[in-house]
Amino acid sequence: MQTHIISLLVEDHPGVLTRMSGMFTTRGINIASLTVSPCEKEGLSRMTIAIEGSESELEKVRKQISNLIEVVKVVDLKAGGQGRGNGGGEAIVRDLCLLRVHAKDSEARSAVMQLAESYGAKIVDAALDSVTLELTEEPERVSRFVDLMRHFGVKQLFRTGVTAIGRERD
Amino acid sequence: MGRAAKLSGAEIVVAELKSEGVEVAFGIPGGVLLDLYDTLYKEAATAEGAETEGGLRHILMRHEQCAAHAADGYARVSGKTGVCIATSGPGATNLVTGLANANMDSAPVVALTGQVPTSAIGSNAFQEASTFTITMPVTKHNFLATRTEDLPKIIHNAFYIANTGRKGVVLIDLPKDVLAERAEVNLHPRETFAGYKPNIKPNRVQTKKAAEVLANAERPLILAGGGVVSSDASEELRRLAEFLGAPVVTTLLGKGAIPESHPFCLGMAGMHGRLYANRALNECDALLAVGTRFSDRLTGWQLDQFAPDATLIHVDLDAAEINKNIQVDIPIVGDARLALVDIIKWLEKVAKVWGKRSESVWVQRIRKMHSACEECVKDVWGEGSSVSERLIKEINRVLDDDAILVTEVGQCQMFAAHFYMTRKPRTFVTSGGLGTMGFGFPAAIGAKVAAPDKKVVDIAGDGSFLMTCQDLATCVENDIPVVVCVFDNRFLGMVRQWQELFFEKKYSHTGLGLTPDFVKLAEAFGCYGERVEKPEELEAALKNAFESGKPAVLDLVVGKEDKILPMIPPGGGVVGMIGAERCRRI
Ligand SMILES: Cc1ncc(C[n+]2csc(CCOP(=O)(O)OP(=O)(O)O)c2C)c(N)n1
Repeated sequence: MQTHIISLLVEDHPGVLTRMSGMFTTRGINIASLTVSPCEKEGLSRMTIAIEGSESELEKVRKQISNLIEVVKVVDLKAGGQGRGNGGGEAIVRDLCLLRVHAKDSEARSAVMQLAESYGAKIVDAALDSVTLELTEEPERVSRFVDLMRHFGVKQLFRTGVTAIGRERD
Repeated sequence: MGRAAKLSGAEIVVAELKSEGVEVAFGIPGGVLLDLYDTLYKEAATAEGAETEGGLRHILMRHEQCAAHAADGYARVSGKTGVCIATSGPGATNLVTGLANANMDSAPVVALTGQVPTSAIGSNAFQEASTFTITMPVTKHNFLATRTEDLPKIIHNAFYIANTGRKGVVLIDLPKDVLAERAEVNLHPRETFAGYKPNIKPNRVQTKKAAEVLANAERPLILAGGGVVSSDASEELRRLAEFLGAPVVTTLLGKGAIPESHPFCLGMAGMHGRLYANRALNECDALLAVGTRFSDRLTGWQLDQFAPDATLIHVDLDAAEINKNIQVDIPIVGDARLALVDIIKWLEKVAKVWGKRSESVWVQRIRKMHSACEECVKDVWGEGSSVSERLIKEINRVLDDDAILVTEVGQCQMFAAHFYMTRKPRTFVTSGGLGTMGFGFPAAIGAKVAAPDKKVVDIAGDGSFLMTCQDLATCVENDIPVVVCVFDNRFLGMVRQWQELFFEKKYSHTGLGLTPDFVKLAEAFGCYGERVEKPEELEAALKNAFESGKPAVLDLVVGKEDKILPMIPPGGGVVGMIGAERCRRI
């Protein structure tokens, strides 16, 4: 098992997201995350899909995606590995996390803040008994951070799912 | 790019359909389609004056499922895109089975559905259903038109997508206001989707590799699927088979890809296929599979028994089919005909092999297998043949080479697939992937509309026919004389067969009891009807039916417990068919 990231350019039509998620359901494909956002080209959107599975499963997914009429471009961005297709290559992968942790007393609060600092997380809100943190990082690092924070008690957790960009090769 | 004109959405739809070469549409109107049908009315009125030149014919069906099946049958026989029309809500949901059926078998169909006005979408308005989301998984692509000015591009793309690449169904959902409003548009646009590039040119490196494998094989075999028929590659297939000394087995949808009387054709393989077709799969050392998706009905359940000694070459237009069901050695993504042309070219360069191949041990063995099959089909009255089998063999003997055989689903279908020798491509029409009871008769209507000069016969089970027989009214009204041969066993026969063989004869809900009097049923609609008590009477009855000039229903009494054998039992593979004792040993 390995996480694969597929970056797509799709036509910005109503229903494209339904079509994409419907295809995953009909083909029995599990996805770890899916994000949709505007991109540099007008009329197109970018989708970033993270999938856990073997190389051959990935291959099937890629082909099914390519078959969708509104998919203009498919780029395979393997996190930290060899990418394929145009603009592939080692990718820069990010996940944004918003996390509200309990901070009952000053001891807990300073421990939370210390850890946050060492991970480069920002404090975006604070209340009497909680601290809200923001961390934008590689997904694995975000996960590790979240695990550590569980120690203090996580009140709420939000993650955006991954977005990724291929590295420029000169 | 055509001229700018101010037209209503409905006028745009009709103008674009005509510009796409559509001659006929099968449909049923409804409230939200009034504008479209008003335009069709005017169209028919003008066309009558102008001797229907370039006119658009609309055939009113009696059920939307039949409209979709008729469009499907029309497409399979003509190669052109079939068109069906249904209103919003129930009209559209009634279409769904037919769309799923056509899409599964890669038949090019464009469906137009009415929709409530854009302002009402999402409000549970009268006759609202979310056709766009409901039909997404059963179409190749679908559109919800939201602006009248988008219609030319949408319609052009719908036809382009439906009938290129791996063909399929495209649906356009048309809200009432989009059809009613007028807009200034440029008709006949040519722009398409940037992301849709139907890959049709096979890679030359791959076709060369394939040719090398085939040239060096001792026992090459070709497996022809529906893709060979839909890419009109029959001639190339025959040439390659003869050149290579390779037998051809087909899938259900591949029937007709090569004349089944050809000495190298072993007929259909798979679960209800011919014993020798499956044997050939088991024995070959190189398999060229063209335009097939290796469905489970072909491969059985034991994938390791499927062509175990063969180097597998797979040609398919849809890259997603490669390595989906079966891992192959040489994938070739591309059009079946172009791939065969390339392979033949490469082979011609190494043509030395042919002379010695033409009468190889393998070829001799194929010839024997073929003649065993052919003798069996010609032996109508031989001992051990069931009534159902005899009837199909008689139909096979009586029909001419151009006749089109359409089937429902069940034993009748498999009897036809097994014992009917299809002579030409596009003359065997059946529901392969979805296995839809009720498909055959309306598909026969579409077939007859596509080929009015050919005889069209539907092989029907009594269960299947009762699912869509109301469209006999359509046949009578529009003078579409198809002949329905009802295999009257008063059972849901195929399910009964499984209950007999694998569920200790516990016939749970497969008995149909007293089925209607099919002769009277036919007559009630104004059709010709005749009961055939014995297979010996079939030839005369068929003659009567054709000579009546009317749509006809022949009620053929068959053995209640006729079984279609041999078959691959559940869990089995292509070796180990049961019920093959009758087949001669070779
Ligand atoms: C719409 C639909 N419903 C149910 C089935 C399941 N099924 C497959 S074959 C069959 C029996 C068909 O009976 P009939 O049409 O009488 O043909 P026969 O097998 O007797 O020749 C059934 C119920 C199906 N294929 N399609």
